[in-house]
Amino acid sequence: MSTDEQPSRTIDGTGVTPLAGVGTAVWYDLSVDVDLDEPPESDAVDPEAERDRFDDARERARDELDREREQTAERVGEEEAAVFDAHRQFLDDPQITDGVADALDDGLPAEHAVHRAFEGPIEQFAAMDGMMAERADDLRDVRDRLLRLLTDVDRVDLGALPEGSVVLAERLTPSDTAQLDPDRVAGFATAEGGRTSHAAIFARSLGIPAVVGVGEDLLTIDADADVLVDGIEGSVIVDPTSEQRERASAGRDVEIRTEPVATADGRSIEVAANVGTLAELEGAVRQGADGIGLFRTEFLFLDREAPPDEDEQVETYVEALDAFPDGRVVVRTLDVGGDKPVPYLDLPEEENPFLGERGIRRSLGPDSGLFETQLRALLRAAAAGDGTLSVMFPMVATVTELEAALETVDSVADALDDAGIDRAMPELGVMIETPSAALLAEALAERVDFLSIGTNDLTQYVMAAARENDRVAHLHDPTEPAVLRAIDRTVSAGHASDAWVGMCGEMAGDPELTELLVGLGLDELSMSAVTIPAVKETVTGIETADAESLADRATDATAKSAVRDHIDNREP
Amino acid sequence: MERVVTVVPEDGLHARPAAKFVETANGYDADVQVGPADGDLVDAASMLAVTSLGVASGDDVRIVAEGDDAEAALDALEGVLSTPEAESET
Repeated sequence: MSTDEQPSRTIDGTGVTPLAGVGTAVWYDLSVDVDLDEPPESDAVDPEAERDRFDDARERARDELDREREQTAERVGEEEAAVFDAHRQFLDDPQITDGVADALDDGLPAEHAVHRAFEGPIEQFAAMDGMMAERADDLRDVRDRLLRLLTDVDRVDLGALPEGSVVLAERLTPSDTAQLDPDRVAGFATAEGGRTSHAAIFARSLGIPAVVGVGEDLLTIDADADVLVDGIEGSVIVDPTSEQRERASAGRDVEIRTEPVATADGRSIEVAANVGTLAELEGAVRQGADGIGLFRTEFLFLDREAPPDEDEQVETYVEALDAFPDGRVVVRTLDVGGDKPVPYLDLPEEENPFLGERGIRRSLGPDSGLFETQLRALLRAAAAGDGTLSVMFPMVATVTELEAALETVDSVADALDDAGIDRAMPELGVMIETPSAALLAEALAERVDFLSIGTNDLTQYVMAAARENDRVAHLHDPTEPAVLRAIDRTVSAGHASDAWVGMCGEMAGDPELTELLVGLGLDELSMSAVTIPAVKETVTGIETADAESLADRATDATAKSAVRDHIDNREP
Repeated sequence: MERVVTVVPEDGLHARPAAKFVETANGYDADVQVGPADGDLVDAASMLAVTSLGVASGDDVRIVAEGDDAEAALDALEGVLSTPEAESET
């Protein structure tokens, strides 16, 4: 590394994976270098040759789609791969191919013909709502694929990038993202896109550092520049300093500890994984998780036509419990509503879905049948699986809701006993993610075994700043003093009632914040599996007294900048 | 020949179910059209046309097939429309 360093430049975006990586910028350009609005004179075009070019491009597009479908199914998942089936059908759609044929008959070059044939359908779908508008994106992807193949844009082969590449692009399609090899690509950043875009979802599945929604400033980065993609902070740093580089690589190449860890002075901290699919279980075990701190059960319910039955659920929960025979698995009951549509549930269209009928609100209301089935399955799994089962209720805002949920658990237990079915009582807990729950933490903790702080939603609700809104992204920061104070009082309230207190938001997986969280008194930290080794390593170096003093200073602070200063200047 | 079928996949005829429907229609030697039970029909071999029908779960659709494989095509398409679709793949 050179010693004479250039000043670094930081551009903010939205981090989508809790990972950072440094590498050399590679521009991935989808734009087509011809003016498609101004076709050349038709007598300059040979229609037969253009038809052959189109047929050839379509054939290559089919091959690409088949290959990418297979690759995506293998590396990301079958559900995600299904998007390519739709793309293939659009590619062969008679309306499109007829449109292209007509345009070719009119003497247009193939790329202009493709552009014209897609224009109408794209506009038509884009003008519609919801799922239909998504079809417009699919059509654009198919069109751009054909245009790229026709214009022979010298496209970077994403599957064969040199090791240590950072991919920069205006946007990445699902197929682009699926081709990225986590072992070779140090990260990617896109000008467009949000946390829920396909690219973001794929990046998390693949474990690639990624920042999206960077905006126009991204375009000012030169190819071959040194770039650090910081998915934790949500920033792209050009010409990072050696200090910034070291910090970015801290999370990587850390020794994996399969044993539980404690601070230097012996305070045990449980380090667990957040898991959203069964496929992630293995990764969690591999990264040395002590257990699962957040088992999201939505995957069982989404992308299917009918809810999973009780036996299927028992099987899934037991599988998770058996993966951690000596650990704990915290299962969150179904948390739908908000941004998560479920086809067979009659989810209302709401003005403010995040402030609407979601989580426990649905479980105690329209989805009470599903809730009971899920609880039956959980109580059966508690008796059948190896590990310790804990069950957690999401989106609780009142003590009444918690009491209703606990009563449901009791009645389900009685019904199982009456039927002579084996069951055990799991630990029960509340997810603290609404300001109301944080303010009522004492009363909630008295009634349960544990509290788990979901910092992503808690931050969004405490700061009144939507997670997906780039314009208020600066407010969406768990080190804001108000959020820290909510965490602080939750932990104190939990401990006063002998409830253990965990954290299962992205904050828990940031090694920079581990000391602060230990100082705040958290017993358990749960995170994406990839950050477990770094957090475990950090824990072992912490002196509890130092951590508590840091936490005191941080919770006394009244500005995020002061909190950050305390964190940056903490005792080594 | 024709048939009226109630759509079971909860996504209706969108992305994945639609792709499967169109793929199936293309697999038979028959001209197939599809549309709402009481409305205009579109080409079942066109993903664009089928998707833009906006058919939701529980809707009745009319499938009309002409050609050598008409009956087999109707059987297969009825199968697609009346099977909850997700479990087949994952």
